[in-house]
Amino acid sequence: MLEIRWHSRAGQGAVTGAKGLADVIATTGKYVQAFAFYGSAKRGAAMTAYNRVDDEDIINHEKFMNPDFVLVIDPALTYTDDITLNEKDDTKYIITTHLSKDDLIKSQPKLEGKDVYVVDCMRISQEKIGKAIPNTPMLGALMKISGMYDIDFFKEKMLEVLSKFPQKIIDANMAAIETAYNEVE
Amino acid sequence: MTEKMELKSVEVWDGNLAAAHSLRQAQVDVVSAYPITPSTPIVENYAKFLANGYVEGEYMMVESEHAAMSGCIGASAAGGRVATATSSQGFALMVETLYQASGMRLPIVLHVVNRAMAAPLNVNGDHSDMYLGRDSGWIQLDSFRQQEAYDLGLMAFKIGEDHGVRLPVMVHQDGFISSHTAQNIFPLSDEVAYSFLGDHQPFNAMLDFEKPATYGAQTEENWHFEHKAQQHHDLMTKVFSKVEEVFAEYEKISGRKYRIVEDFMMEDAEVAIIAMGTTVNSARLAAKIIREKEGIKAGVVGIRLLRPFPFEQIKEVLKDVKAIGTLDRSSPNGTVGMLHNEISGVVIENEKVPAMKNYIYGLGGRDITIQMLQDIFKELDVSAKAGKRVGPIQKFINVRGPELSFLGK
Amino acid sequence: MEKRGWDDFDPGVILFSFEKDKKVTDIATTEPENRPYSQSNSFSSDQASGWRVEKPIFKQDLCIDCQFCWIYCPDMSIISRDKKMVGVDYDHCKGCGICVEVCPTNPKSLLMFVEAKEEAEALAEWPEKKKEEK
Repeated sequence: MLEIRWHSRAGQGAVTGAKGLADVIATTGKYVQAFAFYGSAKRGAAMTAYNRVDDEDIINHEKFMNPDFVLVIDPALTYTDDITLNEKDDTKYIITTHLSKDDLIKSQPKLEGKDVYVVDCMRISQEKIGKAIPNTPMLGALMKISGMYDIDFFKEKMLEVLSKFPQKIIDANMAAIETAYNEVE
Repeated sequence: MTEKMELKSVEVWDGNLAAAHSLRQAQVDVVSAYPITPSTPIVENYAKFLANGYVEGEYMMVESEHAAMSGCIGASAAGGRVATATSSQGFALMVETLYQASGMRLPIVLHVVNRAMAAPLNVNGDHSDMYLGRDSGWIQLDSFRQQEAYDLGLMAFKIGEDHGVRLPVMVHQDGFISSHTAQNIFPLSDEVAYSFLGDHQPFNAMLDFEKPATYGAQTEENWHFEHKAQQHHDLMTKVFSKVEEVFAEYEKISGRKYRIVEDFMMEDAEVAIIAMGTTVNSARLAAKIIREKEGIKAGVVGIRLLRPFPFEQIKEVLKDVKAIGTLDRSSPNGTVGMLHNEISGVVIENEKVPAMKNYIYGLGGRDITIQMLQDIFKELDVSAKAGKRVGPIQKFINVRGPELSFLGK
Repeated sequence: MEKRGWDDFDPGVILFSFEKDKKVTDIATTEPENRPYSQSNSFSSDQASGWRVEKPIFKQDLCIDCQFCWIYCPDMSIISRDKKMVGVDYDHCKGCGICVEVCPTNPKSLLMFVEAKEEAEALAEWPEKKKEEK
C-alpha cells in the first residue's frame, strides 16, 4: 500500500490533483482511493487530501494515515501545518518553495534529516498555466521522485484525464508537469 | 431518444457520482430535490445528465426537503419512476413525508448520504439520519463503499417497484468517507443496467383515467390499524425473498454477490463486530490483521438490510459467537445504541447467549482507525475468554476527555 | 361499508372511484347513477340524507333552467339533464340551502321546507310572486 498526503489550501486543486492521480493509476489496473478532509471549507483554508494505491482492493476507510509521500503545494503550509504528522522513517517530502533545499530546512528545522525534495510549483504554474494552481506540476515532481511511472506514460494518461478541457489548458498543464519533473531536486 | 454514455470498465468515481449514474441508467422519470451537503452532487449530476440529453425526465427544484419528498410522492403516485437524495437536517425535514410515501406504498428511491444531526452543526458523516428513518416503513439498504451505493442504487428500483412489494427504498452511504472518496468503480453498461430494471410498471397509478384512484385518504380508528398492519406484514414477509431474488439476479450481470447479512470470517469466529457503513470494510481489514497478529478468532457482521430487520439471518450467523461488539455511529442519547438493542433482541433467542458490548464511535465524522477496531476485538476477546462480559456495556471510542462508559459496571 | 381485514385490500390506502375490474372509458357521457361507483366512493358511502333538518323542494313550472343551482351545489346534488333542471338528489343533498339562495326566479323555483314536509303539500303552499318595491 502506497499512501500520499497532500497539504494544500482549498482552491489550489489538491482534491483535483489527488483524483487525477487516482484516475491515472486506475488505468494501470491498480486500486486507488482519493479523499480529502472537508470542513465547511472556504477558499484559502488549509486542508489535506489523500491517496491510497494498492495492488489489492482497498477496503480501508480510516482517515488516519502514515504517509509514504507528503506533498506540500502551498509554500506557507510548511510552517503553519503539521506536515510531519504521523510520518514514517522513510517518508518523502516534496515541498513547494522558492528556496533551495538547504535554505528550506534552515527555515523549518523539523525537516532536518528527512528525505526532502523541493520544487517551485507556484512559479511553474504561474509561468506555464498563468494561474497559481500548483496541483499538476506537483504530479510531475511526484513522478520523478517516486519513479511510479515513466513521465511520457504519465503525461499520455493525464491527457485522457484532462481531455474535457480546452487544448490550451491541456498544453499548459502538460508543460507544467514536464517542467516540475525536470526541476524537482 | 436519450444518449448512451460510454463508460470505461473501471471508472474512478466517488460515491455520489456512482449513485448519480445509477439514477441516469435507471432513466428516472422525476427527481424532485432540495440539495444538501454531502448528497448534493447526486441530484446535481442527475440534472446535468438530464440537461445533456442522457436522461429523459424531469428535475423539480423545490423549496425544501419536505417539498422534495412531497414532489416525489406526487410523481410516484402519478405513475413515474422517482428518486431523490438528501442528508441530515434535510432528511429530518423529510421525515413527515417519509411516512406518507411508505403508507401510500410508493416505490420512491431515496439516496441518504449519512451525515450528523445538528446541534452542533456538522457536515460530516455519522448514522444519526439513518437511525431517524428506521421506523418510517421504508426498506433501508446500506452500502459499505462507493461501488455498493451504485449497485444498490440500481437494485433499489427493482426491489421497491415490484408489485408484490411496493415500498419506498433508502440507499445509505457514509457522508464523505463514501460520498466524496473516489475509488475504482466497475459500472454496468447503460444497456445492461436498464434491461436489468426494465420499464417502470405503474401500479394503481393516479393518472390512469380509466381507473381513477384517490391517494392519501384519511382513516380513523376504523381502518388505520388494518393499513399499518398490512404494511408491517408485507415488510416482514415479502421483502426478504424479493431482495434475495434481486441480489441473485444482479450477481448474474455484475459478478458481485450481495447478501442481506454480510458475514465475514464468521465460520469459526469467537468475537464479532456488528457494524454498518464503511466501518464494516475497515473492520474486515482489522479482523484479518488481528487473526494473523494475535490469533484472535475475529469476524465481522455487516447489516446490508436494516429495514426490514433480518432477525432470523442474524440469529443464524451469531449462533456460535462468544462476544459481540455492536458499533453504533449515532448518539443514542439516553440508552444503548440501536444496533445493541436490535442484536441483543436477536441473540437471546439463541441457545448460547454471547457477551454483549456496545461501542459508540465516529460521531460527526470522527475517525475510526484500523488500530481502534483491533483494540475492540482484543477487548471482546477478554469477554469471550471469561465466558461473560468484562467491563461496562457501553463505551465511547476516540472521544477526548476521561473514559466514557455506561451501564453494567 | 363492509369492514374488511388487513389482508383484504390493495396496498397503499388507495380508494378507487369505481368497482374493481370495471373500467370507465366514457365517464363524461355516463350519468352518475349509471356509473359503477365503488363502495368506498363518496357517491355510495356518504349518503347524507340523514343529516338534513330542511330540504330544498323544486317547483318546475317556475324554473328558467339557468343552472345556477347546479353550478353552486357543493355536493353535486342537483340533477340536470340536457341543461334542463330535473330535481334534487336527496341521497346526497345535505340541505345547505345554497341552491335556494342563488335561484333568481320570482318566486323562487327552489325553497327550503322541513325534512318531513310532503312534496305535494309544499307545492300547494308555494308563495305568490313578490311585487317589486319601488
